[in-house]
Amino acid sequence: MTSTIRLTRSDRAFHFFIDAALVLILALLVVPIWSTLTLSFRPNDFIGSALDGMFLAPWKWSTAAYRALLGHRSFLSAAGNSFRIFFEGVITALFFTVPLAYTLSIKTLPGRKLLYGIVLVPYLFSPGLVPNYLLVTKLGLTNTLAAVFLPGAVSVYNTLIMKSFFEELPEELKESARIDGASELTILLRIILPLSKPILLTIGLYYGVHFWNDFFNAMLYINDAKLQPLPILLRNILLSSGMNEYVEANAFGEAPIYAIKAASVFLAAIPMLVAYPFIQKYFVKGTMLGSIKG
Amino acid sequence: MNSERTIMEGQAILLKKPASQTLWRRIVRHKSIYLLASLSFIYFIIFKYVPIWNAQIAFRDFQALEGVTGSPWIGFKNFSDFVNSYYFWELIRNTVFYSLGKMLFSVPAAVFLAVALYECRVFWLRKTVQTMAYLPHFLSWVIMYAILLAILSPSNGILNDLIKAFGGEPISFMTDTKAFPWIVILSDTWKETGWSAIIFLAALMGIDPCLFEAAAVEGASAWQRVRYITLPAIKPVIVVVVLLRLGTVLDAGFNQIFMLYSLPVYSVADIIDTWIYRQGILEFRFGLATAVGLFKGVFGLLLLVGSNKLIKRYTGSGLY
Repeated sequence: MTSTIRLTRSDRAFHFFIDAALVLILALLVVPIWSTLTLSFRPNDFIGSALDGMFLAPWKWSTAAYRALLGHRSFLSAAGNSFRIFFEGVITALFFTVPLAYTLSIKTLPGRKLLYGIVLVPYLFSPGLVPNYLLVTKLGLTNTLAAVFLPGAVSVYNTLIMKSFFEELPEELKESARIDGASELTILLRIILPLSKPILLTIGLYYGVHFWNDFFNAMLYINDAKLQPLPILLRNILLSSGMNEYVEANAFGEAPIYAIKAASVFLAAIPMLVAYPFIQKYFVKGTMLGSIKG
Repeated sequence: MNSERTIMEGQAILLKKPASQTLWRRIVRHKSIYLLASLSFIYFIIFKYVPIWNAQIAFRDFQALEGVTGSPWIGFKNFSDFVNSYYFWELIRNTVFYSLGKMLFSVPAAVFLAVALYECRVFWLRKTVQTMAYLPHFLSWVIMYAILLAILSPSNGILNDLIKAFGGEPISFMTDTKAFPWIVILSDTWKETGWSAIIFLAALMGIDPCLFEAAAVEGASAWQRVRYITLPAIKPVIVVVVLLRLGTVLDAGFNQIFMLYSLPVYSVADIIDTWIYRQGILEFRFGLATAVGLFKGVFGLLLLVGSNKLIKRYTGSGLY
């Protein structure tokens, strides 16, 4: 491991092999994304193969697909719905998850085992799609954005990760606050939560990504075109073969349909791609916590 | 005898009382916690337990107008309809095939990636690969579908452009029953390998550096180091990951299959969950679809509990 040791020929071969493998893996990861990206910039009059098109020479790329999408009413309203689902969903999810995780983390709480059991049963046993569908429609959530995030607002897995984080916090903190006469609610709000920012961010983002990406709940419960989130619009664009309301001649005429398809996913992924480098470490931290517990 | 017994009982009561008092005191002391948790538990009862209650329609001839409790009982008819149908084995086969196939590809790939990242000395390469490898985990399958189209589409996918460049006929991969299983398994490997490597990387970080120093003193080569120190160190993690995945073998990845499949490939693509969706939501066969969901839920429970038992026996601590 130390660099002072002279590398033998076999060690050099080893490192060459490792580095070459990683470069190959990097290429395998980048090429599909790059080829989709370049596809989204193809002009209508593009001639040549896809390999040719992978080089963004200035005379053969255009932003027509992006302009068409951003100028389209349904795209903007879908993006707005997705942002609302993201923020409302994350707030709702944390509102239910934090107290649950905190409660389960108090070792002296009478009845903790029972409460833990109540949380664990649905984790181990899922009754399936239709019983959930009956519930959500019965609650009158059809055609509301809440139908997308409310059914998944508490993930038992996320709760258990958060619980193990709370358990790691030193007990003395709470004890000394109790001696000073702080109520349990004050302890949670004033002492525990300020110390838990990393885990709140991590778990909040887990939920957020999940809600942002969800298309299934939206497909099940939202029929109103005005309430469609992005993934549903994307799916409709991707599955359309050209003669579709999303490809109205006037709106999208300047760009080929495959460029529109590719551009739409990049626009939908932009918030994530922009935020990703900053939040990567929180995601990784979250999985590490989960894995240590598991 | 009798009075003696009374005295003993009296003592028992006297001894017990303080205990129940402290329990009561402990409950009172935590009353704000119960209050705090009550909303979450109400959520749990509504969104997690009412569906379990609703699952009884698996045993009923469900009529939308009659509701869950008003529909007539029909016993196990829905279950026997499913088990005796021709698609039963097809669904089980496809589901298990995709689960195991994905595991067979992505676990070794993740182990390889983790070891390569751990051994790599080129800082920028390591960081870039890590960043790029974790990223696809956060892309939805809708976006993955668009990326797959850019590669596989017969009219302008790069793979088909290559085939055409070599004089071949373009292949419609996404609707080809031979290609489809490979697309599912390989696209999942592409998307999830980086993310699954994290858990192995975490285990590698825990290796005592003394082992490597000792190995260097003894003159071990880098290959031997990997073979005798690195791989044995993550072996327990590999076992746990495999057991965990066996515990969820009936979840073959609904979102992925649902996004990628189409009528021509149903026979090789349909898994339990996609079938439940089509029968339940599209064909309104609620009872039958619920029965299949319950079937899956019960076997899923057994598999999870079983795999957790094995993990507990192997590592000393389980999932819950």
